[in-house]
Amino acid sequence: MSSTSVYPTPINAFKQSKRSVLSIIVDNEPGILARIVGLFSGRGYNIEALNVTVVDIKNNLSRITIETLGEEKVISQIIAQLEKLVPVHSATNLANLSESYEAEICLVKIEFDNNEQDQKILNFADIYRSRTVQKRQNIVVYEISGTSERINKFLDDLNTIGGIKVELVRSGPIGLGI
Amino acid sequence: MDNENEFTGADILLKALKDQEVDTIFGYPGGAVLPIYDAIFGQNFLKHVLVRQEAGAVHAAEGYARSSGKVGVLLVTSGPGVTNVVTGLTDALMDSIPIVCISGQVPSHLIGTDAFQECDTTGITRPCTKHNYLVKDVSKLSETIHEAFKIASSGRPGPVLIDIPKDVQFAKSKYIPKKDISFREHRIKAGSKNVNKNFVEELVNHIKKSERPIFYVGGGCLNSGPQASQELIKLVNKTNIPITTTLHGLGCFPGEDKSSLGMLGMHGNYEANLAMNKCDLMINVGARFDDRVTGRLDAFSPDSVKFHIDIDQSSINKNVKVDFHTNTDITLTLKEINSFIESNNIELEKKDYTNWWGQINDWRKKECLHYEQGEEIIKPQHAISRLYDLTSHKDTFITTEVGQHQMWAAQYYKFSKPNRWITSGGLGTMGFGMPAAVGAQMANPDSLVIDIAGEASFLMNIQEIATAVQYKLPIKIFILNNEYMGMVRQWQELLHGSRYSESYVDALPDFKKLAESFNAVGVRAKNISELDDAINEMVSIDRPVIADIWVDKKENCFPMIPSGAAHHEMLLSKYDKENPENQEKGKVLV
Repeated sequence: MSSTSVYPTPINAFKQSKRSVLSIIVDNEPGILARIVGLFSGRGYNIEALNVTVVDIKNNLSRITIETLGEEKVISQIIAQLEKLVPVHSATNLANLSESYEAEICLVKIEFDNNEQDQKILNFADIYRSRTVQKRQNIVVYEISGTSERINKFLDDLNTIGGIKVELVRSGPIGLGI
Repeated sequence: MDNENEFTGADILLKALKDQEVDTIFGYPGGAVLPIYDAIFGQNFLKHVLVRQEAGAVHAAEGYARSSGKVGVLLVTSGPGVTNVVTGLTDALMDSIPIVCISGQVPSHLIGTDAFQECDTTGITRPCTKHNYLVKDVSKLSETIHEAFKIASSGRPGPVLIDIPKDVQFAKSKYIPKKDISFREHRIKAGSKNVNKNFVEELVNHIKKSERPIFYVGGGCLNSGPQASQELIKLVNKTNIPITTTLHGLGCFPGEDKSSLGMLGMHGNYEANLAMNKCDLMINVGARFDDRVTGRLDAFSPDSVKFHIDIDQSSINKNVKVDFHTNTDITLTLKEINSFIESNNIELEKKDYTNWWGQINDWRKKECLHYEQGEEIIKPQHAISRLYDLTSHKDTFITTEVGQHQMWAAQYYKFSKPNRWITSGGLGTMGFGMPAAVGAQMANPDSLVIDIAGEASFLMNIQEIATAVQYKLPIKIFILNNEYMGMVRQWQELLHGSRYSESYVDALPDFKKLAESFNAVGVRAKNISELDDAINEMVSIDRPVIADIWVDKKENCFPMIPSGAAHHEMLLSKYDKENPENQEKGKVLV
């Protein structure tokens, strides 16, 4: 993995997993997502996370980012199969680029009971520079961005606080090569 | 307000088909395609062949495409019309056959309401087509059809489906001719037009160095066009390198040529498989290292440097890791190899691979295709050999069903030209051969078209005999009748203690009477003395003929590499015993 976070990461000791992030440029047309998802399920590949949005309205292009697991041979085969799909312009394994950046966004809703919990939450939120989206008496919503590992770490830290209730949504990683 | 430059969707479809030089369409009408059938009624450039079930239409289109090199076209209605072609579309995808399937759909405003004869056509056919479309806007129809034909026939060919709702067939728009369409390159995926010079040089260098080279040629050579076969013949003659072909490669190189080792793989020739196992240089021309070919992967050709020419990037390094590859078209690449050898005056003649050929000729002495024909019961191998002897002087096309008869046909019928052999390889679709023969006969009205069949497969699409009769297509159905699903029975014998569970085909029809009831002709051979007469009679009759050939019920197809075994672990006869360890592993494979 050569991806670097666009945000600073407090602890830099995340273990290297055999995940790959694939970036796919496609014609934005009906059924394209089904083609890609069907290719993964039909051939027995994993989708760990998936993100799709139009990125070029003029040329009607979408970028699909898929996080997947597998050894190098499998990833090469996935890329070759993706590039056979008619609406696919390109499929790139970001790990194969000399330089690429990755980010993910996560919204976390935390319910807490007491001041001690609130202080701990505040402390972690400050370390990870999460943005406060909303704060009420016993509830706070943060937005945190960065690599998936950074978000994982933040969530792990939150979980060390006893008695709070966490609900969250994650965008899955997106990435860009340079 | 009628604009004279505007046409209905149905008329646009017909115009586009004419523009694509389609002269034959296989189909079956129904509610959602009535406007198209109405347009077909009022024209005369397009011959519509009415099949008896949609499965027949798709296999006929495949047979038409394979035997002519053109795109096969079919037309079916919504719902069951389209679900009936799913098998054939998958077959065409596996075997890289260019076909375009037009399907009707319920009117746009009813889509998603579970309307009568509605199904999610693009959803169902997405994984079994190269590409598919639902056309919701009639102004996009011309472009969609032209792109569909382009995609079906470019790069690695395959099936493309166009779903047209009924209201779009009535709606009006301008027609855009093929010549005015500019295709977007990324969607066509035609493969590289530039020959990989480095690949060519490396290959020639390796040919010069190697002691035990072999060509391993597959259906890609066929799909690259007849010129590919010419270039291949030239190259083989120049280099004196032995050549083996896959099931679909048969005919790309003359089967009776001295350099041909015949077919390789599960039921391939002993010399072909042994040569693959022992070679030091493998030149793969348009084959995909299929499991029927490689046998156990960890023992597949362990000592060879592997070169792979395949227009499909995903075929490279999928099953077998290769050392050099190119995705440029086979014809272009072979041409470049030939001219590279010529222009550099490379002397390959001196390198005649004497030891290698000596070794191969020793393997040939095993006579792996030998069989004992007795005086009474017809051996199926003999039936095919006689069929070959009595028909090879004619311009003959062979289709097959799937099973033992298919493998015997591949082993004992020799092909000297490409596109003469039409069989279901990848998917292994029983019931393929007879409708495929209908398609092949439509494309080649003056040729002899024979479906080599088993009685079980033949029964799967037997209704299409009526199609052959209606259009006076003199196809021949040559049934090797052993009253068993022979290949199932063979596997049960080898792997399941001869427990013939449900593989005996009881209550078979009288095929002679059956032929007569369809207004076709039936002939029969019950024993060896009747065989030649039956074949000659079958060939001489200018009508559809069903030949019911009664063959040895217990004959098995050899040689055989059992599943899970390696190339050098072939069984040559029923007396060969399989390694029990392989047998246990092989049982769970297909």
